Amino acid sequence: MIRFMWLDYRAALRERKVWFAVAIFAYATLSLPMLLAHPPPHVRDAMDTWFGARDPFTLFMFMWTDLAMNKLIAMLAVILAGGVLLRERDTGVLPLLAAKPISLPQYFAVRTLSTCGVMATVYLAAQLAGVAYFSATVDGFRPGPFLAAASLHVWAAIFATALAATLLVVVGRRGPGLLVGLLALFALVGLAFIGFYNPAWAALSMINPISLGVQSLGHLGDLGPAVLVPPALALAALTALTIAVGAWSVRKMEA
Amino acid sequence: MNAIEIEGLSKRFGAVRAVEAVSLAVEPGEIFGLMGHNGAGKTTLLRMLLGLTPPTEGRARVLGHDVAAEVLAVRRLCGYLPADYALPPDMTARQFLAYVAAMFSLPRAEAEARAELWLRRFGLLDVADRRLRGFSTGMAQKVGVAQALINAPRVLLLDEPTSGLDPLGRHELLELLRELARERGVTIVFSSHILSDVETLCRRVGAMHHARLIACGEIAALKQEHGVATMDDLYLALVRREAA
Repeated sequence: MIRFMWLDYRAALRERKVWFAVAIFAYATLSLPMLLAHPPPHVRDAMDTWFGARDPFTLFMFMWTDLAMNKLIAMLAVILAGGVLLRERDTGVLPLLAAKPISLPQYFAVRTLSTCGVMATVYLAAQLAGVAYFSATVDGFRPGPFLAAASLHVWAAIFATALAATLLVVVGRRGPGLLVGLLALFALVGLAFIGFYNPAWAALSMINPISLGVQSLGHLGDLGPAVLVPPALALAALTALTIAVGAWSVRKMEA
Repeated sequence: MNAIEIEGLSKRFGAVRAVEAVSLAVEPGEIFGLMGHNGAGKTTLLRMLLGLTPPTEGRARVLGHDVAAEVLAVRRLCGYLPADYALPPDMTARQFLAYVAAMFSLPRAEAEARAELWLRRFGLLDVADRRLRGFSTGMAQKVGVAQALINAPRVLLLDEPTSGLDPLGRHELLELLRELARERGVTIVFSSHILSDVETLCRRVGAMHHARLIACGEIAALKQEHGVATMDDLYLALVRREAA
């Protein structure tokens, strides 16, 4: 099964849409310093209120996480996971593969984990490229906290991919499934910072997995395992649960 | 023990009867022909043997394994080529065979050796590292057959395997199937509406018509019973008898 998962991950990495994901991450990385050059004054003021800091790095991290990464993971999760099972069923590949000694729930889990792996690979590659690029272009850039925050937010990206794949098979049709996935993820992304905007909702916002992924922004001065590990574990558990729901929903699907 | 035993197997899709109370047995190492018009129920019958379509009634066993209760064990022993399928366009032929082999948990070295063997046998070595999206119908069909053989199956279920093949490719495939049955004892169910292929390959045949198995037995005996000389005439005689 490990070898099958590895081959499936490599196959997923070779799909054309991965190049689109790479291109869009590259665009986000290259364009961020330009956005950062003239931030709106109200955003600068908000940094102080939301994160208790007014330094350029906090502003950069907010723009990178909220304007770029959150939007990208919502969109790319739907694009990358849009082929899991249903496209194979619709194009006629599934009848061939479903006759092998792997059940459809197992196959869905493997395909979804591969897609999550692709998302994580492209995401982390973008962060590493970002470290090199932002070190040269962004004043006050701090690679350590940047990578630490990414190590948590990547779990939000992985969760988003699993959720998109699961919503697709739960809906059962590609077009509506992709639309539902897009709406659900953008709703979660839109509410991700609500705990920072209004501290009274901070505890409630923890039910939003994307909020868990951006928790590092409130602790950029003291990022460590105590800040990063609990939300990462929670996101890993939610991802596993989401994939399990998807696997359960395909158990009676006919190939 | 028979390799395949089917008892009263039926499948209904709502009000539509796809397969109706089919019973038959296939001996180990036999090449059994399944003939019938399009929509006669051949494909549904094969899919039920692999647990891809759950039967409405009846039961079937493949090499002693119940197809409903032990579906993964059945699939582990079987090779299957559906009538309608597509290959993943972004994989090469070699990658696809390795991928299928991994689904059977074959060790990497063995999987690569088997993929090499079948790619060579089907004359696909030169294009083995080309993406499948550019393959012709015949080449794709050969890859389809190769993936059905990658796990060295003891039972082969082939649904219209010669469609898309040129005369030479068709001849080579039929030769290969004879060799597999004769030398390795592979049991083959060969479903086709190309009756000349069925006659060339099989000693016994089952004829399906409108979801029912209307005849099953040795081709020579069936021809004699109906006083006909060709497979076409035999099939027509069976269908006309059914209509009457």
